[in-house]
Amino acid sequence: MRSIASVVTVAEMEARKIRHDSTELWMRAIQPALWLLIFGEVLNSVKVLAPAGYSYMQYIAPGVLAQSVLFVAIFYGITIVWERDVGLLTKLLSTPSPRSSIVIGKALASAVRGVFQAVVIFALSLLLGIRLRFDPLDVLGVFGIVVMLSMCFSSFSMILASFLKTRDRMMGIGQVLTMPLFFASSAIYPISLMPYWLKYVAYVNPLSYVVDAMRSLLLTGDYSSVPLDLGALVVATVFFVGVASVVVKRLVQ
Amino acid sequence: MKAVEVDGLTKVYGRGTRALDGIGFSVDEGEIFGLLGPNGAGKSTTIKVLTTLIRPTSGTARVFGTDVLQHPQQVRQMMGYVPQAISVDGDLTGYENLLIFSKLFYVEKSERRARIDEALEFMQLAERADDLVKHYSGGMMRRLEIAQALVNRPRILFLDEPSIGLDPFSKNEVKSRVRELNRELNMTMIVTTHDMVEADEICDRVAIMNAGRIAVVDTPTRLKESVGGDIVTVRVPPATAAVSLPPDLGRLLSSEGGEMRILTQNGEEKIPRVIALLEAREVPIESISLAKPTLDDVFIKYAGSRVDQGRYVEARSERRNFARRGR
Repeated sequence: MRSIASVVTVAEMEARKIRHDSTELWMRAIQPALWLLIFGEVLNSVKVLAPAGYSYMQYIAPGVLAQSVLFVAIFYGITIVWERDVGLLTKLLSTPSPRSSIVIGKALASAVRGVFQAVVIFALSLLLGIRLRFDPLDVLGVFGIVVMLSMCFSSFSMILASFLKTRDRMMGIGQVLTMPLFFASSAIYPISLMPYWLKYVAYVNPLSYVVDAMRSLLLTGDYSSVPLDLGALVVATVFFVGVASVVVKRLVQ
Repeated sequence: MKAVEVDGLTKVYGRGTRALDGIGFSVDEGEIFGLLGPNGAGKSTTIKVLTTLIRPTSGTARVFGTDVLQHPQQVRQMMGYVPQAISVDGDLTGYENLLIFSKLFYVEKSERRARIDEALEFMQLAERADDLVKHYSGGMMRRLEIAQALVNRPRILFLDEPSIGLDPFSKNEVKSRVRELNRELNMTMIVTTHDMVEADEICDRVAIMNAGRIAVVDTPTRLKESVGGDIVTVRVPPATAAVSLPPDLGRLLSSEGGEMRILTQNGEEKIPRVIALLEAREVPIESISLAKPTLDDVFIKYAGSRVDQGRYVEARSERRNFARRGR
C-alpha cells in the first residue's frame, strides 16, 4: 500500500508542475499536429497506404498519437539526469519510499504528459474531421495503452540515463532512437510495404504493437490482435520498469 | 546509545580511487558533529554512506543502533538529508515541495498540514509558501531544503555543505536556524563543511578529514588550544631593548625590528597587563594586536596543508541559476 502511495505521489509531483506551467507540453503538441496537417494531408491522395475503406488521415492518426507519446517518453531520461544534477533525485532516493516506487512514479509521471498529448491529438482529430470510433470504452482503452506506452519507454530512457549520465548524451541517443523506432513501425505505413530486413525490426518494436492496438480500438473495431499487442506491451513495460528500478541507483553513486 | 557509530569505513570507487580509507568515529545524541576538510577529503562520501545512498566497500555504520547496510529503509525513516546540490523543485511552490516529501516520508494524512506549517514557520518561509520556488533567493531555497527534511521530524539531520554558495547574510540565517533546531528539538546533526569559521561557530565537535582519513576529532576549542595559545603582538620603536616578562604573562617568542610577539593563553585578558608592564618600563607602544588560533591552523597542523577555498567560488553563483534554468 505504502509503495503505491509513493508511486502516486511522485506522479502527483509531475501533475502539479504541469498545472503551474504547461507551455512545454503545448509546444510538444506542435510536432504531431504538423504530421497530421502536412504529412497526412499530402499523402492522403496516395490510396495504397491505407487499408481499403479508410482515408490516410484516419490511418495515421493512431500512429501519430503513438509517436508523439513515444517522443515525450524517450526523452524522459533527460529529466532524470537533470534531477540528478540538481540534488532532487538524491533527496527522493533518501526518503523511506522504495526505489522501485520512485522509478514507477517517474514512469507514471511521464504518462501524465503522454495523456496530455493524447487529449491534444484527439481534439485535433475532431477539429480536422478525422473520423475515429469515439466509443467511450475504446477511448478509455487507448488512454490505458498511452499510459503503458509512456511507462515502457520512459523506463527505457531512465535505464539509458543510468548509464549515460549526461543530458547531452541523452539528447544524442534520443535522436538516434526515435527515428528508427518511428519508421520501423506501422505508425505511418503498413509493415507489408517494408523491405524484409526492416520487417524484423518492426516485429520486435513495441511501437508496432501499440499502433496496431490503437488502430483496432479507434478504427476497425476488430479486436482479434489486441491481446497479442497488449501482451507484447506489458512484457516490454514490466521488463524495462524492472531493470530501471535496479539500475537507477547508478545515477546517485 | 550513540547517534552514529562508524567503524573501519572504506569506499573504493571503480577506478581505484580511495574516497574513504578506514575511518571511524561516533556521534552522541543531540550533538552537532562537523566533518571538516577540503574538496575530495571524503566528507560527502561519508554522508552518502550514512544516508544509505552508497554502499561502502568495507566497514560498518550504525545510525541509532541500526545498521545502514542491513536496514536502509529504517535508517531513512528516521533521518533527514539536505544534499549539497539543490534538492527542491523550482517548478513547485514551497508548500507543494513539502507536501510531496511529507507523503514520501509517509507522514499521516491528518498530521501533514500541521507538520508542513510548522516546518515552514521554523524556517521562516510561511509568507512565501505559495510562491514558486524558482522565484526564491538562494538562502530561501536552502532553508526550504532543510524544511523539507524537517517534515519527517528526523532524529538526525545530515547537512552537506549547508551554507555553500550563499551570501553572508543568508549564511548567518541558515546557521542560526541550524543551531536553533539543535537546541530546541535536541536534533542530532552531522554537518560537512570546508569553512573553518562555520565549523567553529556551529559544531560541538569536529572531525578533521583529509584524503579519506580522519586526522583528529575534538571540540573546536580544544583543537585550537592544541596548536598553541594566543599571540599578542606589540609594536614598539625599533631600538627598544628586550623586555623580560613574568612567566604567568606568557613567553616572549621574538623581539626584533620593533615587534614583540608574546605567546600566551586568554590573550585578551593579558593585553592590559602587557600595556601596564611596558608603560612601567617607559616603552612607548605604537600598536597592539591579538591573534587567536583558528581551525585553519588546526588543519595545517593535523592535515599538513591549507584548506583550499578557492575552488568553491564558482559554485556560488551557479546555485540559483541551476534551479531557475528549468527543464
